[in-house]
Amino acid sequence: MATTRSDRAFVDKFPHEAAIVKATFLVAFVALGIGAFFGLIQALHRTNVLRVIESADYYTMLTGHGVLLAIVFTIFFLCGVFHWAVARSLNRPAESRLFSWAWVGLMTTGTVLTTVAILGGLVPNLGMSADVLFTFYAPLQAHPLFYIGLAMFIVGTWLAGADWFLSYRAWRANNSGERIPLQTFMVLTTMIMWYVSTIGVAVSVVFFLIPWSLGLIESVNPLLTRTLFWYFGHPIVYFWLMPAYLMWYTVLPKLAGGRLFSDPLARVVFLLFLLLSTPVGIHHQYLDPGIAEGFKFIAMTNTMFLLLPSLLTAFTVVASMEHGARQRGGKGYVRWLGALPWRDPAFTGMALAGAMFAAGGFSGMINAGMNINYLIHNTLWVPGHFHLTVGTAVALTMMAGSYWLVPQVTGTKLYSRPIGLLQVIMWFVGMVFMSNAMHRAGLAGIPRRTAEPQYQNFEFLTPIGSIFELRVQIALGGTLLFLSVVLFLFNILLTSLGDESDRPVDAALPEPLSGPEGSPRILDNLAMWTGIAALLVILAYTLPLAGIIQNGGGLFGGGLPVPATLSAGLDFVVVTVSSAFNTLLGVIA
Amino acid sequence: MAVDSTAEGAAAAPASHASDTEGVPADAASQSSSGQADPRADSIVGAADDDIVREIEHDDFDPVGTLVLVLIYMSILIGMWVFMYFIEFLGRGLTVVG
Repeated sequence: MATTRSDRAFVDKFPHEAAIVKATFLVAFVALGIGAFFGLIQALHRTNVLRVIESADYYTMLTGHGVLLAIVFTIFFLCGVFHWAVARSLNRPAESRLFSWAWVGLMTTGTVLTTVAILGGLVPNLGMSADVLFTFYAPLQAHPLFYIGLAMFIVGTWLAGADWFLSYRAWRANNSGERIPLQTFMVLTTMIMWYVSTIGVAVSVVFFLIPWSLGLIESVNPLLTRTLFWYFGHPIVYFWLMPAYLMWYTVLPKLAGGRLFSDPLARVVFLLFLLLSTPVGIHHQYLDPGIAEGFKFIAMTNTMFLLLPSLLTAFTVVASMEHGARQRGGKGYVRWLGALPWRDPAFTGMALAGAMFAAGGFSGMINAGMNINYLIHNTLWVPGHFHLTVGTAVALTMMAGSYWLVPQVTGTKLYSRPIGLLQVIMWFVGMVFMSNAMHRAGLAGIPRRTAEPQYQNFEFLTPIGSIFELRVQIALGGTLLFLSVVLFLFNILLTSLGDESDRPVDAALPEPLSGPEGSPRILDNLAMWTGIAALLVILAYTLPLAGIIQNGGGLFGGGLPVPATLSAGLDFVVVTVSSAFNTLLGVIA
Repeated sequence: MAVDSTAEGAAAAPASHASDTEGVPADAASQSSSGQADPRADSIVGAADDDIVREIEHDDFDPVGTLVLVLIYMSILIGMWVFMYFIEFLGRGLTVVG
């Protein structure tokens, strides 16, 4: 018996939520188009293949590329995915339509302000620029509009999280004793991580960067703003990644024709990310002299623990895909891979994204090691790494996921599956060229964040191949990636303009092979896990921040920077605690 | 009717392989899993379960293929680690820190 579309499509059951998802996707895809274009200009410019801009404007492009892709595209898209996932898995609409539109509006307004501040750098005599790159810490300074827009954007994401927690609270009132549905569990743990981690950037922007850019305070402590940025700058990596994981765990097994291997394992993975994402940010600062080596070592240890949930994910997701392949008739130790639905762009895109993420794990382990990091720090290796992770594992999963999600919120069939397939393969091939060349260029010592990495009387040397070959690969890869984005946007645009279909997509999600019923209920105790996450953050950051404030001339800088040691941080804490204790004794006496 | 364990009421779900929370009648779900392919399925994203030839439950599934891929991954990792040790450390002069 055939069912009518109203029985199936998300857009028919939750029209208002579908409208919110469409709005967030629209902003995400516009940002993707602009950001990818800037990326093409950069790839051609720094390889000296084609220079259409002044080198001084390269940094405007770089900032636009980073902010529009790593903040706007990813986060707007994940807000859409999370809004869909919460409504779908709780089987209820959001509590307030007005509230949902309020956070969409606030985030969009913030995005527009920030983008205007960045693009203002391209207009001479405007007196507005924000060439501070995605890593927007001092001493680089942006126009106040940049920071104000970012603050609005961040507050918008907080409200979005509140929207999903309100839905959960209303669901819980009618379902006491039930396990939290897996997708909602993933959304809530991710948002708790986001709340914990955005405290750092909120303090940095509101108390230091905005007053400094407005001229209200003369100076800031650069290492403090830098450390507060990285306090947020590593967990944001997992904020990008968690929606991709949500899709790998709950959608990819279905796309493969199988079922999720283990629901409890997925919960454990998301809890580990909640606990470990934030107390690791100092691993981005291995070469900062103002932080003692001992604190860096603690951050490295935490970072190595973070490999665990990703390796758990590799096992669970691949096992779920294998289950699909076996159900589709797959045989053998490796031959089963051939039984997967490789003609489906949503599946193929996500599977290729997962394969790239595995490769990103290799270079991530190099980045995470304190001593090995010195080999590649601030070289092109690092952009090579994160173009595998956020640039492929996340971005390609989001694009592939769009082929399955967009039809659910528009009610129209995907315009072209073959174009979709070509697009995801083109992204994969383009990234193989660009990222491997970036890694190798980094090993040769070529710096990142540089418009013209060509120097007089000096030549970089590569053990294999040549610098020319690396430049050609980067330019070719960047061009393929841009063309892939054009194909994606074209396909999605025509999909949204298409006729409504009775069966726009197969939206049914199978239950896991191993459900949550046998797993410990403590996994769902969100308050307890939040407390442990906060405790780990306090343990990891109290002493380093105390040392940075003490050695860097206070909260607002001004002192001479000196190399930090563990004992200096400890001395500061001992002096502070003992003086507080003495004061307390004095009051009591 | 089977209920998706990612949704409300998961614990009570029997072990039928495909359904969702959005009110798909059980017969519609079983139709998509029975191998009677929808004539349009090939043009629809996410219709991989139309081609299922046998259903495999938890106790019948032994992910040996996953084990093989994990071992390949670990062997690449170890190989690259050994390579790096020889090239980047033994291949260069001593570095004195401090």
